Amino acid sequence: MELTDAALVARVLVDEDQNAYGELVRRHQSSIRGLLRQLTRGDVALADDLAQDAFVRAYKNIRSFRGEAKFSTWLYRIAYNCFREDARKRKELVGIDEEQWQAEHDPQTVDPGLRHDLMHALSLLPLHERSAVLLCCQNGLSHEEAARVLEIPLGTVKTNVLRGREKLKKTLATWAE
Amino acid sequence: MSEQVEQDWLDRKLQEAAPYIEDDGFTARVLRALPQPARRGEFLRSFILVGMSALASALTYVLSDGGRFLVVEMFKITTIPTLWVVAFALASGLLVMAGGIFAATSKTTQLESSIG
Repeated sequence: MELTDAALVARVLVDEDQNAYGELVRRHQSSIRGLLRQLTRGDVALADDLAQDAFVRAYKNIRSFRGEAKFSTWLYRIAYNCFREDARKRKELVGIDEEQWQAEHDPQTVDPGLRHDLMHALSLLPLHERSAVLLCCQNGLSHEEAARVLEIPLGTVKTNVLRGREKLKKTLATWAE
Repeated sequence: MSEQVEQDWLDRKLQEAAPYIEDDGFTARVLRALPQPARRGEFLRSFILVGMSALASALTYVLSDGGRFLVVEMFKITTIPTLWVVAFALASGLLVMAGGIFAATSKTTQLESSIG
């Protein structure tokens, strides 16, 4: 019988069982790496480094996981914090910001293919809307869970999801017809 | 397309656009980067064992009139027939070997179950 996330967490807490933690990593690596790849606009190497950092950080702080939220939600939060800290550092180092990136990527240059268009449209969204759309629409988190991950009010999450969706729909209008 | 249908379509496409990412050694890399588990209580356990052994030895020495029983027992051993000494040494060797085999077998089973 497959153990639940909670049972595996308990094994890590009680026995410091790294095999149990390995199972948790195996279960959640795809969604965490996927989210980070989208947040870093397809930078696979950076996303994987951040994902590794997030899982190591989660292991070190596993005693602070109280089981009030799902383990996956708690992981998303740590991964998102890793991304935010890194983005802040990078901005300080190379001066890249959202507006500059968007200005350099003209939507008119989109290649054919729905998936490509979708990913491109997603990458053009401002970070706060992109994060909310990715968590709620792609990863299936509720608005409440996304608010916990992003550490913003519930109403703001709803607004960001709504705005992000509207922008995506506009960009992909021809595909939806 | 109605609002809800459009929303569902978009969500479905977003989910489809995020395929499962194969592990490809990622979990192994994370496990290698984890800090080694702290050996909690190990120092205390050693301290208690060594302390209790030292205390027991001291008590035995004092209560046995300065370890006089050792001299007596050593004298008794020298009077044991050689055949008995050989048999005793052989039995001790077999006992230690059996203990070693048991420890190795249980460790192998434990490792196999943790890998599998």
